[in-house]
Amino acid sequence: MSLTLAESAAVVGDLRRARRKQRVSAIHWVDALYQVYITGLVALIATVLASGAVGDDEVGASTLADVRVHGAAAVGVVAALAVFLGLRSGSRGGPLALERPDVRHVLLAPVDRGVALRYPAWRQLRFLTFVGAAVGATAGQLALRRLPGNAAEWLFFGALFGVVVVGLGFGSALVAAGTGLRSWLATLVGGLLLAWSVADALDRAPTAPGTIAGRLALWPLEAEPLALLAVAVAAVLVAAGMRLVAGTSLEAAERRTALVGQLRFAVTLQDLRTVLVLRRQLAQERPRSRPWVPALGRSPRYPVWQRGLRSVARWPASRIVRVLVLAAVAGLAMRGVWAGTTPLVLVVGVALWIAALDAAEPLGQEIDHPGRTDAFPFPRGQLFLQHLPVVALVSLVTGLLAGAVALAPIGDEVPVGVALLGGALAGLLAGGGAVVSVVQGAPEAVDMLSMSTPEIAGARTVIRTAWPPGLAVIGTLPLLAARAAERGISDPPPLTALATVALPLGTLLVLLGGWVRLRDDIHAWIKQATDQMSPSKAVERVAAEREAAEAREAEALRESRALAGIEEDDAADGEDGEAGAVAADTERASRAKAPPRPAPKAKPRPNEPAPGFRGGTSAKPVGRKRDQNR
Amino acid sequence: MTDPALEATGLTKAYDDLVALHPLDLTVDVGQSVALIGHNGSGKSTFLRMAAGLLEPTGGDLEIAGFEIGDVEARATTSFLPDEPVLYDDLSLREHAEYISRLHGGDGFDDYAESLCERLGLADRIDDLPTRFSRGLRQKTSIVLALVRPFSLLLVDEPFVGLDQPGKLVLLELLDEVHTDGAASLVATHDPAYVDLVDRSIALRDGDVVYDGKASVDQVLGLVGG
Repeated sequence: MSLTLAESAAVVGDLRRARRKQRVSAIHWVDALYQVYITGLVALIATVLASGAVGDDEVGASTLADVRVHGAAAVGVVAALAVFLGLRSGSRGGPLALERPDVRHVLLAPVDRGVALRYPAWRQLRFLTFVGAAVGATAGQLALRRLPGNAAEWLFFGALFGVVVVGLGFGSALVAAGTGLRSWLATLVGGLLLAWSVADALDRAPTAPGTIAGRLALWPLEAEPLALLAVAVAAVLVAAGMRLVAGTSLEAAERRTALVGQLRFAVTLQDLRTVLVLRRQLAQERPRSRPWVPALGRSPRYPVWQRGLRSVARWPASRIVRVLVLAAVAGLAMRGVWAGTTPLVLVVGVALWIAALDAAEPLGQEIDHPGRTDAFPFPRGQLFLQHLPVVALVSLVTGLLAGAVALAPIGDEVPVGVALLGGALAGLLAGGGAVVSVVQGAPEAVDMLSMSTPEIAGARTVIRTAWPPGLAVIGTLPLLAARAAERGISDPPPLTALATVALPLGTLLVLLGGWVRLRDDIHAWIKQATDQMSPSKAVERVAAEREAAEAREAEALRESRALAGIEEDDAADGEDGEAGAVAADTERASRAKAPPRPAPKAKPRPNEPAPGFRGGTSAKPVGRKRDQNR
Repeated sequence: MTDPALEATGLTKAYDDLVALHPLDLTVDVGQSVALIGHNGSGKSTFLRMAAGLLEPTGGDLEIAGFEIGDVEARATTSFLPDEPVLYDDLSLREHAEYISRLHGGDGFDDYAESLCERLGLADRIDDLPTRFSRGLRQKTSIVLALVRPFSLLLVDEPFVGLDQPGKLVLLELLDEVHTDGAASLVATHDPAYVDLVDRSIALRDGDVVYDGKASVDQVLGLVGG
């Protein structure tokens, strides 16, 4: 029996009301208030920081002319990025993050799926629109401080642009999900739009569609009615998406339901490793069954290296493409840095760091399973250390690829030596950053620092989060040193300047290797030192020492009595009387009757396997028939 | 002529280079009780999830009572009892049963729902949230939800996992009643004894059908090991 639209809406509505009632009753007003407080605080800090970065001085005439010419295209990149992300999300079952029971019970029921899905879609759109409008209005307000124009106009069009960006992204996602757009096609279409916008912003392409949306944001500078087309396109995309939403794939939706919640939780905990693993699952990025290079060496001497190389040999095509794209982005940013745009070092570092996170996957899998690594007959640090060469190798190759892009003889190329050496060093440091990200793992659920004041815990969180990509950005210092030498700011030739900075960076990498090897020992030492200083632990220690002393004293007393020929039981006579003596006699008699104890068998040394069974070292699994029949 | 309860033609499912189900031709008649047996990874759950509409076939056709999979009519016809209970955290057992019944055009938490709860030993827990249930109680809740609504094809994946002995016996009784009422059932299980209770057994191995017909326990053990 299937339900009519009205019946579907009534039942689904009742279900939601009942659930909302339960949820609301479970929320404590203090929690709700705290959430509002934290959101407000974060928004305030972000606004103040952005405000400080923008400054108060009105821009000069030449900058204003620049903004008029290139501003719309630059802002339009944001709109193109929203479409790109929306299409990608939609092709993977997004943008809706349904609950699993909703998929199983509501979407499998004979109700209209459009009715069931439109409500969560509107709810999500409502929230995103609010956020988009708030961020857009704030950006408009900040722009007003440096650019001429009317305050109300900047606020209004800033908010409108924010809403349009949300509409473009969310609408694209709904359309992609509803039409079952293939992932590769979504990436291709979105990527082309984004690349067009970037090229337009760099003045290398005709007006991109994103630029039209960008003109909306700069309306107070120059009113252009064509910009309203972006509003219409966003509205059409959202309307089409809402109409098509019923076509969302249940398979993709269910996969997403299982992962999105965990992903959000991992992001909240700044657990980068879990975020990466879940993101790969969401994108269905699985290692290849057959490696690209089937016959890798099988030398028993370097099993960890081989394990790492095999992991790389199984990278899916999508991961290889991503690393190549990131290397290309880093290379292009290196060219920008060489041409004088210093802030692009951030792009170089972050792109290479993200690529290196893929290289650190085998190491990450060891970290994921502490039970397994603890079972190995050598320290964990030693195992982790042996994983580093493969991370370094892949990061080095990525850095060299970035260098190759940077030295391509088109436009402002970087000299060959500087590009390759600079790229290689940046890659290696990015690999170091990735290793730190993976090895430091997620913050522990309970530790003393996380329970300290917000100032201490917050600063620690910032350092933990920023240090790994920061390390990758530090890797671009040789490039900056070479640039300074090239411009005559320092004396040595560029390559010498680069090498001078490379030396301390090499030392930093060696120290990093030491940290990986000794991290567990350092933690154990810190814990021991903390215990030594803790008053409650000191009391426990004194009590344990007292007990040990008493035990030693009792042992000494027993030995003295034995030497003096006084039996234990005789000593107990005074306390137990006749019963004790009878028991002692019985025991003496039984000792006399008992046969002599056999001499204990010699035990094999702990590290020596028992004869006939060499365990894992024989490389022959026990019980496998085809091996036993050989 | 009545359409079969389920009809698969050249049905396949692949995940990249891994083929989970080779082209499969299969028909389950109306009212037939079928056991789906096979090793881990043989394709039983994949087939059931495709029949339930949760997985999209890579190729081939799958019809439920003559309707395309995913159609409203196919959804109205098919009830799926998964191996892992999927429940709302914020709805009690009664509310679950009520809404799922209503989503399928039923009256809500009626006498039949109450009797199911009683038979499965859930009578005292009807107003509790499933978050406070053990694995076995969640599985029993899942059974209630699968049966509280009308259907003519019941798909069941590993139903005995996590159930105590009385629960298992009640479930066997309920499956028998489903059969008596004229609904077809397709039960994926590792329990060889179950094949004695059904009309037909289908054995899968690595995504291929290796046996189809009435089977004895010994035959099943020979087919899937044990």
